Amino acid sequence: MGKLFSLTYPTAAVLLAIRHGHRYGFDVMDATGLPDGTVYPILRRLERRGVLEGAWEDEAIARAEHRPARRYYRLTPLGEGAMSEVLERFPALVRLFGTEAEPA
Amino acid sequence: MMSVPGLRLIGAASRMVPFLRREAWRREWEAEAAYAWQRMTADGRATLLPRIRLVLRVSMCVVDAFWEMKETMSFSGLFQDLRFAVRTLLRYPAFTAVAVVTLALGIGANTAVFTLVDGVLLRPLPFPESDRLLSLQHLGRDGQDELPISEGLYLVYQDQATSLEGVAMHSSTVVNLVGDGEPERVPAQAVTPGFFEVLGVEAALGRTFVEEEGVPDAERVVILSDGLWRSTFGGDPDIVGRTVDMSGVSRRVVGIMPPDFGHPDRQARLWLPRIVDPAEAPLAAFGAGGVARMAPGSTIESVDAEIQGLITRLPELFPQDGEAAFLAEVGLRARIRPLKQAVVGEVSTTLWILLGTVGFVLLIACANVANLLLVRAEGRQRELALRVAVGAGRTQVLRTFMSESAVLAAAGGALGVVAASLAVRTSARFIPSDLPRMAEVGMDGRVLAFTAAVSVGCAVFFGLFPLVRYGSDDLVSHLKDGGAHGATGGRDRHRLRNGLVVVQVAMALVLLVGSGLMFQSFLALRSVDPGFDGERVLTARISVPPGEIEGWQETAGFFRQLQERLAAQPGVLGAGTTSRVPLTGHSSFGTMEVEDHPRAEGELPIFAAHSRAEVGYFETMGIPLVEGRTFRAGDGAEGSRAVVVDESFAREWWPASSAIGRRVRGGPEGEDWWQIVGVVGDVHQSSLEEEPRNTLYWPLTLGLAEDPFPARTLDVVVKTSAHPLPFVSVLRRELQALNPRIPLANPRTLDDVFRAATGRTSFTMAMLGAASGIALLLGLIGIYGAISYVVSQRTREIGVRMALGASGSLVQGMVVRQGLLLAAGGVAVGLVAAGLLSSFMGSLLYGVSATDPVTYGGVAIALVGVAVLASWLPARRAAGVDPSRALRAD
Repeated sequence: MGKLFSLTYPTAAVLLAIRHGHRYGFDVMDATGLPDGTVYPILRRLERRGVLEGAWEDEAIARAEHRPARRYYRLTPLGEGAMSEVLERFPALVRLFGTEAEPA
Repeated sequence: MMSVPGLRLIGAASRMVPFLRREAWRREWEAEAAYAWQRMTADGRATLLPRIRLVLRVSMCVVDAFWEMKETMSFSGLFQDLRFAVRTLLRYPAFTAVAVVTLALGIGANTAVFTLVDGVLLRPLPFPESDRLLSLQHLGRDGQDELPISEGLYLVYQDQATSLEGVAMHSSTVVNLVGDGEPERVPAQAVTPGFFEVLGVEAALGRTFVEEEGVPDAERVVILSDGLWRSTFGGDPDIVGRTVDMSGVSRRVVGIMPPDFGHPDRQARLWLPRIVDPAEAPLAAFGAGGVARMAPGSTIESVDAEIQGLITRLPELFPQDGEAAFLAEVGLRARIRPLKQAVVGEVSTTLWILLGTVGFVLLIACANVANLLLVRAEGRQRELALRVAVGAGRTQVLRTFMSESAVLAAAGGALGVVAASLAVRTSARFIPSDLPRMAEVGMDGRVLAFTAAVSVGCAVFFGLFPLVRYGSDDLVSHLKDGGAHGATGGRDRHRLRNGLVVVQVAMALVLLVGSGLMFQSFLALRSVDPGFDGERVLTARISVPPGEIEGWQETAGFFRQLQERLAAQPGVLGAGTTSRVPLTGHSSFGTMEVEDHPRAEGELPIFAAHSRAEVGYFETMGIPLVEGRTFRAGDGAEGSRAVVVDESFAREWWPASSAIGRRVRGGPEGEDWWQIVGVVGDVHQSSLEEEPRNTLYWPLTLGLAEDPFPARTLDVVVKTSAHPLPFVSVLRRELQALNPRIPLANPRTLDDVFRAATGRTSFTMAMLGAASGIALLLGLIGIYGAISYVVSQRTREIGVRMALGASGSLVQGMVVRQGLLLAAGGVAVGLVAAGLLSSFMGSLLYGVSATDPVTYGGVAIALVGVAVLASWLPARRAAGVDPSRALRAD
């Protein structure tokens, strides 16, 4: 089996951001500092490859805050598996989010 | 809370996202935007900078949407195919440019004409449930007379016809509006109060008329059009309820209509209630247009049957009324049509023919592109063979062809839309002004959908030819052979392309015949002698409101004084006045009696056109005097009851003797007998196509003190020694000097009037001419391309022939003969097709038969000539082939 995706810096940053609990599209943009236009295509690609999975937030929470429900992303087991490579190849990135990873 | 920014953009971008994912995609972006906005505005103030950043961030949804689209397409390989097609096409810029421009011409022409057809013919009238609206008209004397509706019949239908929900009358009139500056002459409609309700429209401001405003002694009210309200009253909403002076009468403004309302035409700038007095409503005075709304459940047939029944019962309903008996005598019949049909009128034929014409142009363009594609496909055999050799399957090769067709059609369609929008905008000036519903014409989603459909059709059409050509199962083996089928490359290979050329020539011939016939009609119409000499004659319409000048004598005096002042100006050769100059509308038409020919029992009454003319009119207009004299001062007064008739009238009643001294009565003048003092030449009064009708000219001043309707609206004519248009200012000055509150309307030369009368024919001719010009050019390129290609394929064969002793001229003849054969085939097919199709044009032609042999023959010869020329160029190249080179070359 070939590689699931090419692990570029932006991809690694997105994966790490999600791992650290920045789970919504705009939050990922804020957390990574990547150009706004690049984040969603990365999310879409990773979701399509099965590294991430998307889900809708609880309707009740959204309704309580008078806004529509947002869609969040979390790592799949496949994505969790890929994290070791991320950490290995982009050690500097890890510092951006702190070493202590809180599982999504 | 302010609305979240960018929602609209998200909605628009979501259209790019594949349908199945679209909803979720849109919800995700909207939720993110809403969340970010909410957080930003939570503390009650969002500064400008974060706000801009949010908008920028949300606008990135476009990138995401594009990614979604691209991803789905590349999933099916479509994106790669299209990208590959674009790259391939860009490598052959000449071919691509020719193909795209050809298609853009065809698609653009179709889009432009469809814009017209859609706006004028296809779209329903802009009224609610407009399919229930009807036009009510009548026909008299077995359809010889077209009559609108009379007040009497209006009341009968309104009271008795149960199949109609409502009936209304409308007639054109003019109102003098005296504002601060120069008095304005404003076209208006006098309508029965129910008019707006029948149409189903409401006022934008205020209200429409109520029933009580349509009876005698009602309060004088008026409804303004949006245009007049804005231009003259500055869009002041408080105008409703105020009174305005109109033609010397104070009227209270009760409403303003919405800007898009205009019926029966867009000329009317205000509406007055039409007063109908049931006690005096005449049955036989047909002076207004009729509209009606069918009751739910009625059909045109049921309405027609009911109205017809009412007409038959008229003498029984009005036993005392002589007019009811008269209507029965003339065999009055109802003519009920859908309102849209009546509004659109004869224009529909022209427009459908135009659409058919540009449809042909598009087919020719497609045939051309198909031919180009076929030629190119053969030139690409090595490339395709290579692709097959490295493992490309049949489907993949065919997909290459299809995606190239799609890209070409898309580019042609896009360019065509641009061309069409330019064409629609610029052609607005050339479209005859009497074309109905022009204000409703415009390019919109429907038109674009049509263009998209046409482009897809094109792609399928010319994409199909390579499929037919290479779609057979042996494609792969065929390509592996490298297509080496001998020097000329197989007979059936040419058959498809030759067939295309024959079809092209045939269609070009049909179009050329059409435009040839139109051209001949135009010439015939231009050469019609209108019966007057309009050179250097200026005309303008003047109407005197009763509020300005009362009594008939004063009114007549005013016109006479104006005429005298004009005649005294330097550079003026003559001046006159008439009720209506020829070719500017229908003259009034009515019954009359001839003293020598008392009407026998059961005989139909005599009808004639009635016109009024002042001293000097005939001389100014150059209408020749045939016998007797024209009017002179004093004619019309008691004791000098003089009338002038035209030649056709004199000939009809006194074919063998002179008409001078005979007596007639009828028309506007009452019971006296009037003596014919002169006979003048026939004049085309209403149109150039119609034969001149029997016409009676009454003196302008009838000299009847009891005349309740003195002629207040008249056309002045002035013949000048130099170009007449600069004289308009003199005319205006003289009128102002006499009475500054009487306006001048529609000043123009009689040459303009004449040109307008040939407007529709010249418009159709120009459109058909342009279409057939394009068709001829495309056909020429088609023949040239086909023959060139054959020559290039046969270079080796030609070399052999020449090596064996064939002369250059022999080879040249051989090639030209081939082109000629194609052209002859096309001409033969085209002649048959033109013969069958031209019958549709019958109603547009004038003075030429739809199967005119001269046109057909001329066009056929011209096309053959063009074909010879188109094949002679490659033939010369063939004759110049150097045998030794040709044989050495592969």
